[in-house]
Amino acid sequence: MDPLSLSSRIAASGLHAQETRLRIVSENLANAQSTGDAPGADPYRRKTVSFSSYLDNATGASRVKVQRLGLDNSDFTVNFDPSHPAANEKGMVKMPNVNPLIELADMRETNRSYEANLQTIKQTRELVSLTLGLLRNT
Amino acid sequence: MQPIQIFKLASQQAEWLTVRHTVVAGNIANVNTPGYAAKDVEPFKAVMEATGTKMAATHSRHFSDSKLRDSIRSNEINGIAVHPSGNTVNLANEVSKGSGIKREYEINTSIVKTVNRMMLATVRK
Repeated sequence: MDPLSLSSRIAASGLHAQETRLRIVSENLANAQSTGDAPGADPYRRKTVSFSSYLDNATGASRVKVQRLGLDNSDFTVNFDPSHPAANEKGMVKMPNVNPLIELADMRETNRSYEANLQTIKQTRELVSLTLGLLRNT
Repeated sequence: MQPIQIFKLASQQAEWLTVRHTVVAGNIANVNTPGYAAKDVEPFKAVMEATGTKMAATHSRHFSDSKLRDSIRSNEINGIAVHPSGNTVNLANEVSKGSGIKREYEINTSIVKTVNRMMLATVRK
């Protein structure tokens, strides 16, 4: 395959991976207050996403894909709220281990990477149009 | 008549640039991949030497083309912050490399255009 179309495919794989990451971030943020519904039940556990690069054997290019979606095993924060349906006998409610600040930072990073990949695609298009410009009669 | 190598050289450089662009795209796509090491292609020097175009130097003060070629070489590892995950991709570096590639590609295509026009001007009476 010609290297330029390969470039845009690689960038597209990057875009796809970052989209998945953004989805996970929004899931985490949306569920930042999702507690369990039974007394002492576990709340929402923060999800994590991990990327890996894989070598496209046919072309020798290193694309990126989402390796796996994992769970963050850190401790839940505990709040005192006896009236809550998920409160245990001591009146403590387990809250999700989602830190909005971390999620927001993650979102910004996703944004930046997405932009960089878009820029690559744009650049590829410019290179192709430069090549096609050779055929044009000037 | 001397063989005209400009077109051959230009197409070789264009190919080299596109391959390099692919590598840069791979680096950018893997900017968040743990353990990924940034890649780069080998300099155009090797291709240049195989083609065999050399500038003539008749004086010791004349700059040699080998010096020029050495300046193309990129130092990929030096000056790059290594992230704790082992990822060595520097996004700013990669983006600037990408625009550098675009610039060189522009020069390349305009050289081809110009030479083509020159040749056509010769052929036309």
